[in-house]
Amino acid sequence: MKILNFIKNNKLISFVSLVYLILLIFNSDKFMESISNSSYYLLEMIQILPAIFLLTAIIDTLIPKKVIVNRMGENSGFSGYILSLVLGSISAGPIYAAFPIAKTLLSKGAGISNIVIILSAWAVVKVPMLLNEVKFLGIDFMIVRWILTVIAIFTMGYITSRIVKKEDLPKEKSNSNEGILKINDDYCIGCGLCVKTLPEIYEMKNKKAIVKNSNPSKKVYDSIDKTIQKCPTQAIKFK
Amino acid sequence: MDIFTIIFWIITISLTIVALVKEKRRTFEAMKKSRSMMGNMLGQIISIIFLIGLILTFIPPESIKSVLGSSNVISGTIISGLAGAITLIPAFVAFPLVGSLVTAGASIIPAAAFLTTLTMVGFVTFPLEKKEFGTKFALSRNLLSFIFALIIAMMIGVIL
Repeated sequence: MKILNFIKNNKLISFVSLVYLILLIFNSDKFMESISNSSYYLLEMIQILPAIFLLTAIIDTLIPKKVIVNRMGENSGFSGYILSLVLGSISAGPIYAAFPIAKTLLSKGAGISNIVIILSAWAVVKVPMLLNEVKFLGIDFMIVRWILTVIAIFTMGYITSRIVKKEDLPKEKSNSNEGILKINDDYCIGCGLCVKTLPEIYEMKNKKAIVKNSNPSKKVYDSIDKTIQKCPTQAIKFK
Repeated sequence: MDIFTIIFWIITISLTIVALVKEKRRTFEAMKKSRSMMGNMLGQIISIIFLIGLILTFIPPESIKSVLGSSNVISGTIISGLAGAITLIPAFVAFPLVGSLVTAGASIIPAAAFLTTLTMVGFVTFPLEKKEFGTKFALSRNLLSFIFALIIAMMIGVIL
């Protein structure tokens, strides 16, 4: 059961490991080749992810929410587009490195269109790549492609913000929500798992779990998250 | 580490020092938050990297040549765009490869489509993007990127 759950929650990891395992048994040459192909990207990740980690923390600490809402929010207009383009272009690293930064900006009030622009510019517009392009395909090709790409990125940002609304994005983890902890007693099956994990927050009453302290201190938020995830019927929620 | 990554690091470290001096406690709190966010992504990122290794083994960069050199420009462009979306060739390999084909007489339109989808459409990073930003967001962004890559390629063909 545990293994099945792990596979269900980590489809990609399980799939990739399985392919590697099959290769190792039946074609060890291809296995070694794949590992050595991956090593370049692994090195790239090790070089860039610690910096991304620090940057997300810095954005969170140093830049007030108001500034992000004004400069990059839904109503920041064309100057927000330009700022996002510059931010995405000057950064280093592969596109997945942009995800934590984009998430942090999003949680501080950046608009969807600007998030799309940052992610796209991060992937496409890179100074070392542009230099490479001039070298092998000529400066005309590079400039025309760059101008068209920037126009395309802005248009995509605009269109995506029309299609996707903030409510469509995954909800943030409950520990950042300022809500009241509640248990839906229609769903609760009285398994007692939450009471066992956090007896200071939950208790059993009439074979159902109830919340006895609905405004818990911040210290136990992580443990509350665990009970929310563990609850077999997902009856526990912040509202 | 290339020079741009080094500059990126220098900026990051100086900002970290500023943050620590100004708001030590809040910085550590923010780091805790980042740690849990990035911890959730790390497993996915590592599997993506090993997936890229697999794709490079079974679809080596050289196999792109036959696709890009195809005689029909329209179908060649669409197929090149798809190839760029699925494969993940490092840019420093892709540019010389495409450059040599164009010099040899291949059309510039499929080449532009390939180079644009290569970076803008993330087939392998799609699961992670979907998990972090939702299906609607990831699907819209990647589909739009693909369509715009084709438009960019066509326009380059008209202009150059």
